[in-house]
Amino acid sequence: MLDRMRGLPWWKIAGLALVLLLPLAVSNRYYLHVLNLVGIYSLVVIGLNLLSGYTGQVSMGQAGFFGVGAYVSALLMMRLNVPFVVAVSAATLVSALCGVVIGIPAMRLSGPYLVMATVGFGEIMRLIMVNWVPVTMGAAGLTGIPLPSFLGMQISSERGFYYLICAVLYLATLEALRLSNSKVGRTFLAIREDDLAAGAMGVPTDRYKVAAFAISAAYAGIAGALYGSFAGVASPDNFTFDVSVLLLCMSVVGGNRTIYGALVGALALTVFSEALRFLQGYRLIVYGAILLATVIFMPQGLSGLAPAVAQVFRRMHFPGHKGQNGVAGDKGETCR
Amino acid sequence: MQYLLNGLPIGATYALIALGYSLIYASAGVLNWAQGDMAMLGAYLAYTLNRIVGLGFLPSMLAAMACAALVGTLVERGVLRPLRRRASPSINLIIATLGVAIIARNLALIVWGPDPQLFPSPVGSRTVSIGSLNLLPQDLLIVGVAIFLMLLLQYFLRFTREGKALRAVAQDRMAASLMGIVVERSDSVAFATSAALGAAAGILIAPLFFVTFNMGAVIGIKGFVAAVVGGLGNIPGAIAGGFVLGLTEAVAGGKISSGYRDAISFGVLILVLWLRPSGLFSRVNRAKV
Repeated sequence: MLDRMRGLPWWKIAGLALVLLLPLAVSNRYYLHVLNLVGIYSLVVIGLNLLSGYTGQVSMGQAGFFGVGAYVSALLMMRLNVPFVVAVSAATLVSALCGVVIGIPAMRLSGPYLVMATVGFGEIMRLIMVNWVPVTMGAAGLTGIPLPSFLGMQISSERGFYYLICAVLYLATLEALRLSNSKVGRTFLAIREDDLAAGAMGVPTDRYKVAAFAISAAYAGIAGALYGSFAGVASPDNFTFDVSVLLLCMSVVGGNRTIYGALVGALALTVFSEALRFLQGYRLIVYGAILLATVIFMPQGLSGLAPAVAQVFRRMHFPGHKGQNGVAGDKGETCR
Repeated sequence: MQYLLNGLPIGATYALIALGYSLIYASAGVLNWAQGDMAMLGAYLAYTLNRIVGLGFLPSMLAAMACAALVGTLVERGVLRPLRRRASPSINLIIATLGVAIIARNLALIVWGPDPQLFPSPVGSRTVSIGSLNLLPQDLLIVGVAIFLMLLLQYFLRFTREGKALRAVAQDRMAASLMGIVVERSDSVAFATSAALGAAAGILIAPLFFVTFNMGAVIGIKGFVAAVVGGLGNIPGAIAGGFVLGLTEAVAGGKISSGYRDAISFGVLILVLWLRPSGLFSRVNRAKV
């Protein structure tokens, strides 16, 4: 692994070091807690980006999958004494199955119809959580969800959770990147751009749409399972439609066409939300205004700024480049 | 049977909101997430005018509807047009109207406070009994006013110039603009009308439920479900969808389970979307939804 690191640019190594050493520098437990939440939400949003950004299937029901992950994992651990890792895996699988269940009717839908169907699904999930009292304990929810424990250790501190979440997020991001750069990812893009044309070119669009739903549900599921152990409680109020909305906003503000956008969006919105606390009642108004402004002026989200930033960076470091492409005014940028 | 009767006023309310969604979708091609919040705004404005300023019910209602129409126009100009000009993907449009909804809801929270307000019914609250069925006079008012507004809308769409322009834009935006119709203006008209209808719905239903800053959320979603069931963009369909949803909810909620009532509504929605995506009352004329 170290030889692979030799080829890495300095800023990637610095970034990695920053991430790993952060909890040692930040002593405030509250900040760490917030970061952990950001990490968990990023997981869900990565899945959402794959579904909505890459495949073009807007979903406002991710909170449903999130909740399924949390409840399944918690119930398995609490009722059947299933070990943490198995519970999380099972939760991810069940969540992915739910993704298939909604993906099948949804594959024919688009636009506001699809949005509505996903909203409906999210709400149905939440209502099941509220009403299936013998299993889910109804509106009160589950309390005392066991902490993660595996390989003999138990994670109970914010720092511990930080490393766990970072590890999961790292693997998840790697997998998402791999997926998005593979044939699957390209198929998703084709479906987004024009699914009729894709179908005409022989792409089995239905199967891939359902797969996209399943994958995004899996991401939400694993995040949900982590959330359950992290928060210790899981109640239907944690998985409402508003949460789905928040997730979608993170996706769009961060830039739903990239994987990193998920992390950026989750971080940005959470930071805004916390930083604006001093505004009290006006906080959400400013929040809404920021949302509007982002959507109007930065349609690719914050991560859409990345090419522009990289551009500036490149010009700063390699001023000779402009002449090399031979055309005056050619910025050396290829299609996104 | 009582359930059916209970479902009528709710259905009428859903129908009004559904009309708002369908109007905007048909002419501007956008899903207006803030539609439910127009109802909330209308209710609050009417409440203020009626309870605090002391105007009668009817003038309050009309004034509130006019204000809502104004707000609708502002939303169209301030939010929709810049996005249209930049050819934003539709998901951004949805988020934008969502942003408007968030702002509206929290503004209402600041201006009117978090406590639910009571809006007494202008026709009294004594239950009227016809045989074994019970009715509130407010229910009759809701259904009556709603039907009146729907007829008014039909008249507007058929016989006035703006209405015909709206229908033209809904049919074919490009052709309409080629024929000299100012398309942006039609969008504004659509938004204004939808907002007014939504406000009316909110005002009508206010005496039955308290006026709170959050009332737009649930009504908005249900209204949208009704619009889709009837066929999004289909005006008579929206009306039919509203009533179908209201009646189904009332009957299912009463007979099956009141906890799962909303789930049943969504279940109906998903069923309709799966089996007949263009809506129960639309002519099936599109290859894909």
